[in-house]
Amino acid sequence: MKKVLSVDDSGVMRRIIGRTVEVLGYGFLEAANGVEALEVIARNHEEIALVILDVNMPEMNGFEVLSRLKADPVLKAIPVMMLTTEADRPRIIQAIQAGAVNYLCKPFQADDLTVKIAESLGEGF
Amino acid sequence: MMADAISATEFRLLRDLIERLCGIALGDEKTYLVETRLAPLLAENGCQDFGAFYRLVSSDPSPQLRDKIVDAMTTNETLWFRDTHPFSILRDRLLPQLAADLSQGSRFRIRIWSAASSTGQEPYSIAMTIHEFCRSNPAVRPDQFEILATDISPSALFVAKLGRYDQAAIARGLPEPLRDRYFHQEGHVWTVNDELKRMVTFRKFNLQDPMEALGRFDIVFLRYVAIYFSDGFKRQIYGGIARLLAPEGHLIISAVESLRGISEDFQQLTHGSGSYYQCQLS
Ligand SMILES: C[S@@+](CC[C@H](N)C(=O)[O-])C[C@H]1O[C@@H](n2cnc3c(N)ncnc32)[C@H](O)[C@@H]1O
Repeated sequence: MKKVLSVDDSGVMRRIIGRTVEVLGYGFLEAANGVEALEVIARNHEEIALVILDVNMPEMNGFEVLSRLKADPVLKAIPVMMLTTEADRPRIIQAIQAGAVNYLCKPFQADDLTVKIAESLGEGF
Repeated sequence: MMADAISATEFRLLRDLIERLCGIALGDEKTYLVETRLAPLLAENGCQDFGAFYRLVSSDPSPQLRDKIVDAMTTNETLWFRDTHPFSILRDRLLPQLAADLSQGSRFRIRIWSAASSTGQEPYSIAMTIHEFCRSNPAVRPDQFEILATDISPSALFVAKLGRYDQAAIARGLPEPLRDRYFHQEGHVWTVNDELKRMVTFRKFNLQDPMEALGRFDIVFLRYVAIYFSDGFKRQIYGGIARLLAPEGHLIISAVESLRGISEDFQQLTHGSGSYYQCQLS
């Protein structure tokens, strides 16, 4: 089963994303920080269809995780969606330039999250 | 590297482009909205400034980039039985008359259009209202009703067609007895039952496109989408709907919208504190 990985230091946010991912019929993986994320990705990269990366995390933030993934010849193929706040918008542009496929600003409505994740997975009608 | 800020000319060009693509009309005060929502698309396409982005879109005939612009500018927010009134109007006013027509044989099938259906809450709420009505009026059957649900967003349609919702989405406006009757639960996911799904057909449709091909309707729901459109586009849409409706067919809009000064083709009717519109064209 193809899976979506949520990387977020907030357990509440990971749970919200996990449920949305389940709704879309994908499996779910989670990581609470950037280092853990890289481990999970290294172990499961073949079945990961999308990584949803929170920008603001202590230690290794979302941008650093993104640039490590994009620097790896194998892992760079995994689509990444960034989760951010209004205040981070200028930096989001850098993330898109670095290869992120989509982004969503917090706070968001449940329907917008579902549609954004579906878009990032390339699911359309 | 940051893209240059949007200039007044670039804003006007992109504003017009957005209006051509999906009808969303943006005043000058929405400059920041265009700037912040489109900036990631500039970056993705390697454009230094909004002018370069505009030239790229203008020279690119493929729908992908245009779809992305529309997705960036629209919102999909919706909920079950939104505003409540439309669904009591359907149950108490519209369905009894249509049911009488069906049982007298003056009509064979009732067609309803949910014209900006987002992730499906509106068309499935209509389907539930009809199902409930049929339970207490055995002379009519759900298969005598057809609901067409359309939206411009392929991803919103994908979610709608799946008919799967998480706890947070399911809780917004859906009474528990209806949830338990029309959905089944697996873990955190609630899925619409097949009997309801069978009543709804999903299809991609841009409200700017000619509506005639969709056929005739007895009732049209057009809610929380015209608020984003210019008066000119609203006139075009409501005019199109008036011609699409069966004689004396009905239009239901949201609590925050109005046809005043926009369309003369409809008569406003009230039911409790809610209102709805009847087509005056014959
Ligand atoms: C806020 S939702 C409203 C959903 C539902 N009608 C309700 O009242 O809850 C607005 C929807 O309109 C759609 N939309 C925007 N412009 C459109 C267009 N030109 N044609 C068709 N759908 C459009 C968006 O994709 C979005 O799903």
